[in-house]
Amino acid sequence: MTEAEWPLWSEEHPVPAQDVQPLEADSAPIGPEQGAAAATAPSPEGPSCPVCGAAVSPSASFCETCGGTLTPTVVPPPAVPSGEAFSSQTRRLGERVSALASCPACGGTVAADGYCQVCGAKAPSARDHFTAAPAAWVGGVCDRGVQHHRNEDAMALWAEEDRAVLVVCDGVSTSIDSDVAALAAARKALDVLVTSTSVGVAGDDSRDAAMAQALVDAAHEANEAVVGTTAPDSTNAASATFAAAVIAADRVHHANLGDSRVYFIGAGQQVLLSVDDSMAQAFIEQGMPRAEAEAMPRAHAITKWLGRDSLDIVPRTGVHELTEPGWLVVCSDGLWNYASEPAELAVQLVAASAATTDPVAVAQALVTWANAQGGQDNVTVALARWGGVPAAAASAGRSSLGEAPNDRPGKEQPANG
Amino acid sequence: MAEFTAAVYQNEFLPDGGTDVNAIVTVRCTGAGAAGRTGSGDAGEIIAVDTSGSMGVANMNAAKQAAMIALDNILDGTYFAVVAGNHKAYLAYPMVQSGAGMVRMDARTRAEARRAISFFRAEGGTAMGTWLNLCKALFNSIGNLAQKHVILLTDGENHNETTAQLDSAIANCIGHFQVDARGVGVDWKVAEIRKIAQALLGSVDIIGDPNQLSAVFAELMRNSMSRGVANAELRVWIPQGAQVLFIRQVSPTVEDLSGRGTPVNALTMSYPTGSWGDEERDYHVAVRLPAKAVGQEQLAARVQLAVGADLLTQGLVKAKWSSDNNLTAQINPEVAHYTGQAELAQMIQEGLSARSAGDERTATTKLGRAVQLATETGNAEATAKLRKVVDITDARTGTVRLRRAVDKADEMALDTASTKTTRIRS
Repeated sequence: MTEAEWPLWSEEHPVPAQDVQPLEADSAPIGPEQGAAAATAPSPEGPSCPVCGAAVSPSASFCETCGGTLTPTVVPPPAVPSGEAFSSQTRRLGERVSALASCPACGGTVAADGYCQVCGAKAPSARDHFTAAPAAWVGGVCDRGVQHHRNEDAMALWAEEDRAVLVVCDGVSTSIDSDVAALAAARKALDVLVTSTSVGVAGDDSRDAAMAQALVDAAHEANEAVVGTTAPDSTNAASATFAAAVIAADRVHHANLGDSRVYFIGAGQQVLLSVDDSMAQAFIEQGMPRAEAEAMPRAHAITKWLGRDSLDIVPRTGVHELTEPGWLVVCSDGLWNYASEPAELAVQLVAASAATTDPVAVAQALVTWANAQGGQDNVTVALARWGGVPAAAASAGRSSLGEAPNDRPGKEQPANG
Repeated sequence: MAEFTAAVYQNEFLPDGGTDVNAIVTVRCTGAGAAGRTGSGDAGEIIAVDTSGSMGVANMNAAKQAAMIALDNILDGTYFAVVAGNHKAYLAYPMVQSGAGMVRMDARTRAEARRAISFFRAEGGTAMGTWLNLCKALFNSIGNLAQKHVILLTDGENHNETTAQLDSAIANCIGHFQVDARGVGVDWKVAEIRKIAQALLGSVDIIGDPNQLSAVFAELMRNSMSRGVANAELRVWIPQGAQVLFIRQVSPTVEDLSGRGTPVNALTMSYPTGSWGDEERDYHVAVRLPAKAVGQEQLAARVQLAVGADLLTQGLVKAKWSSDNNLTAQINPEVAHYTGQAELAQMIQEGLSARSAGDERTATTKLGRAVQLATETGNAEATAKLRKVVDITDARTGTVRLRRAVDKADEMALDTASTKTTRIRS
């Protein structure tokens, strides 16, 4: 408390005597009011919480006393980022990865708001990049790519010993919430196809017809799922492509709407099974070569899609008989933009599977390659390794696949990321 | 407990190679409660009245009445004092020679203070620095006040102090209390009073007619009493390697905060914002980042509001590099609006300054630009005040002529109101 001599107005400007009188009979003389001076200012050694002043660890991102956000002055011991942390098997998609403690860009701490506390880099979210591996022979990677800010691709996979279902949907980026819609569609279609087996149906033709109907039903249900994610008053309805394949026994049943694709890449044959619903495909059907058609200005405009404003949700279906081991590929245009011809895709697949036959690792290698080409779109690669291609066979397959036309030996081998 | 929320308005998208991120962050406070009554500590109010000779009988009587009405609006239990100022500063109430220089408001102390004010008479000069220093000493005599506010009234220039003396007193008081300053009549200098109010986180305005004094003082005190959040600070975090280009409050008035920060840590600066009632304030944050590759996203700033030990809200300013010109070329409407309003304040002040220095060419250009900006941003109050200083030929192009005969009060009103902004029309 300061001892002060107050310069009083009343001392220098004396108040007329008659005016000085108590206003109230019981008024007490005015004494100094004592303020309770209880403020304490701890000054702990070392770093302290800027909010409450408590001592904190230099690498802490939250004050343990008050819970306030801290910016660590020391880079914390690096937590080993585990690829599993991003797995779609263990985490609800679309959720921020709050468990990720350290920033992949600088090693700083990621705050609860999803950005690094040191460099500000956005922490990867589970929706940006996820993998699925329902069986040792089936797996896939769904990735944001490089140039897009959101991953609007979606993938849903299921497999057992001798049967697998692969679904890829590509949200149309000009529509609202297409990332949510695409994921809902892929999951709904998967549900339908997993339960639609042709077991017990007699005859190949009948089985094919039953599976074709199941794929049409799956597209219908997926469409309902997309419409369900769109607010009724939205003027920009969410929309997505649809590509699905069911592989069982010696057959692939497939269906698609839009420009996500289904390929089969074997040692002897490499085929594009699906037919795009796109302007490029329309040009091709008018006789234009594929490479030229796909370079046209509106080549990527799709003519069919899932969504509230879709006019036709009946997919094109097909059957492919399997006669040799190989890879079933269901992918979004983020991959095939860089390898549209089946033979071109085969070259990249061979390169990607040179060191491994694990479908997730091969899919990741293809995603990494697509991102190295520019990553202009989201990239999804879903794979089923059919015919039990063992490591040795894959290696043998490489030599024969390597003779495919349009081989580009100069393409860089992608680092497995 | 008061609740704060933050909203961010910006175009997140930067072109390839782009580095500068602009955002408007709106901070809203609700449930502020009343000053000194929210459990965060006591509030203190000082009414400092100019009693210099120039006040004369009319202004002095109006000031006495206004000071008494201000007393009526101080909540019981609030610590208060009354200061009379001329070329010296006097403690008019409480009438104590030493010890605590403030007392709690109740019916008795209010009546005694009113009587003390009633004896004010106008004599002597003006030395506002001494008034401020006395206010600081009085607040300090009550050790633990959470919220400290002064209403300062003057009518003339600071004749009895050098600029350095006043500046030193202001610097001595920064961060200790807030001052709402008012000038009555036209013989005071706007720049001088604005300097006090800006440094001490308060407002400045002209009271052209002494009859308005009471209403103004009542409103000022009611506003102060409704600020239940004693002391809040704006914290701005930027990533390593980034720099703050500027940070300014842009609503309700333009105040450049850039030079007022104190570091919280290597990446975070804290800017004082004073006390808050139920209100909204807008801040314009401009940050320069090292450019990243197209497709990358990062945080450009965390803008947080902290009260004492609590971080109460946070707005995230983002940067996303994109090759899509449709996204990167858009200027956010809020950013554009407040950029215009900040320039408007600058143009008015520089224009009036040039005008009083006799540089008519510069004055015409600046005030013309001000008219154009006020029109573009829908600031009708500024347009109306500008109209009293210039004749507008074409508001859209900013073509104006300086008026020959300008009422001094109108010119001062334009100057004091120059920092007031309008919110964006939506």
